[in-house]
Amino acid sequence: MSDIGGVDLFVLEFGDILHYFTPYSLTLFIFALIFTVLVIVARPERQLDIVFGGDAYYAKKTPISERRFRRFMAIACGLASMGAMASGDIFNYTLFVSMVGITNVGIVAAVKSRHVLNAAYEYGIVAMVGTLPLFGGAALILGTTGTLSIPALATGGYAVPLVAKILLALGVTGEGMAPFYAAKAEMFRAPGAPYVIMCSLSSLLIFLRVVEIVITI
Amino acid sequence: MILTYSIGLFVAFAVTGIAFFALMRETDGLHRLLLTDLVEVVTLAFIALVGTDLAEALILPGLVVGTSELIALSEIYRVKEGFNRPPSDGLQIEVMETAPPILAALLVGYGIILSGFSGGAVAGLGVIFYFLSRDHHERFEVIETASGYSWVIWIVAFFTFMIFPERWFFAVMLAGSAILVKVMAKMSIIGTMRGGPNV
Repeated sequence: MSDIGGVDLFVLEFGDILHYFTPYSLTLFIFALIFTVLVIVARPERQLDIVFGGDAYYAKKTPISERRFRRFMAIACGLASMGAMASGDIFNYTLFVSMVGITNVGIVAAVKSRHVLNAAYEYGIVAMVGTLPLFGGAALILGTTGTLSIPALATGGYAVPLVAKILLALGVTGEGMAPFYAAKAEMFRAPGAPYVIMCSLSSLLIFLRVVEIVITI
Repeated sequence: MILTYSIGLFVAFAVTGIAFFALMRETDGLHRLLLTDLVEVVTLAFIALVGTDLAEALILPGLVVGTSELIALSEIYRVKEGFNRPPSDGLQIEVMETAPPILAALLVGYGIILSGFSGGAVAGLGVIFYFLSRDHHERFEVIETASGYSWVIWIVAFFTFMIFPERWFFAVMLAGSAILVKVMAKMSIIGTMRGGPNV
């Protein structure tokens, strides 16, 4: 294993496909775990709208059915991020990342507001298009080296093409859309704080992990 | 690198370019949704180009991810645009009243002979056709129960393979018939996807 993640702490092998923890990925995994627990126990915030020109405000309430769905999606998102942190196989990693993308769309799209739905639709299209570079990168790595196992690729001797690494990072960017969040402020008009934070956290985590993968292989 | 693989990669990248260009030019929401499906197909082509058994196994999860994203997005689009079409009475054509039982029986019979995954697909096609052209106020609990039991049988066959490898023929027969029922039950639900009760 290359030096970026540190020494292996734990390896669980299923033949060629394996799961492992390094100090780096274990830290990210614990982050995802803590936030998943927070999402389970936390109550959603009640968003406040100030009335201009007056001294009043509205407190928006999240209906029970919507809350239940968004909480489920947020938990699924946390589990998918944990899986992406622990996976030692590039294709499994891409599958977990695309699951993070789907659940992020689900968290936001449960809100029945036109602005939020419009933003979620645009985000969903980017997430869907993002699967092309994501799976394309993984398939290129498989096609040129013949293996998908990250530890095997890390030992050297394989020439992983640069374009495959770029495609992989691009795909994760599309799924997590972390750099585009500033432009998609409409999404955050969706009330319900802990669930929306899960979107940001999961995209941050998958992005940090792909940096490790791209440098290691 | 093998020449065929390089040519295939080149074609796939060219198609990617075309798809992204179309996606950039298109402004209508529904058309963009359809164009993302074009991008998904190129994704599968990238995986298929590897051309090994592993690639074959990787196509299935790729396809599932693409399909689930497409379904989620079309649901968002439907809610966003406020499309709530009342369920219609189906196709009002005379031949649709008489032909379905015969065709469905033929397809289901042929599917049972084929057995396994492809048999399930053929038989499922027959059931889809039947449900599409007839009323579908059927008892879905029966289909769901059959699907659940066939899943259990499939798992039993799986364990038989691992624990009693000498009974492989029995396990193959179990798995083949169970997967037939399972795929057929799953596919038959597609035939009823036009709203209304029970769905």
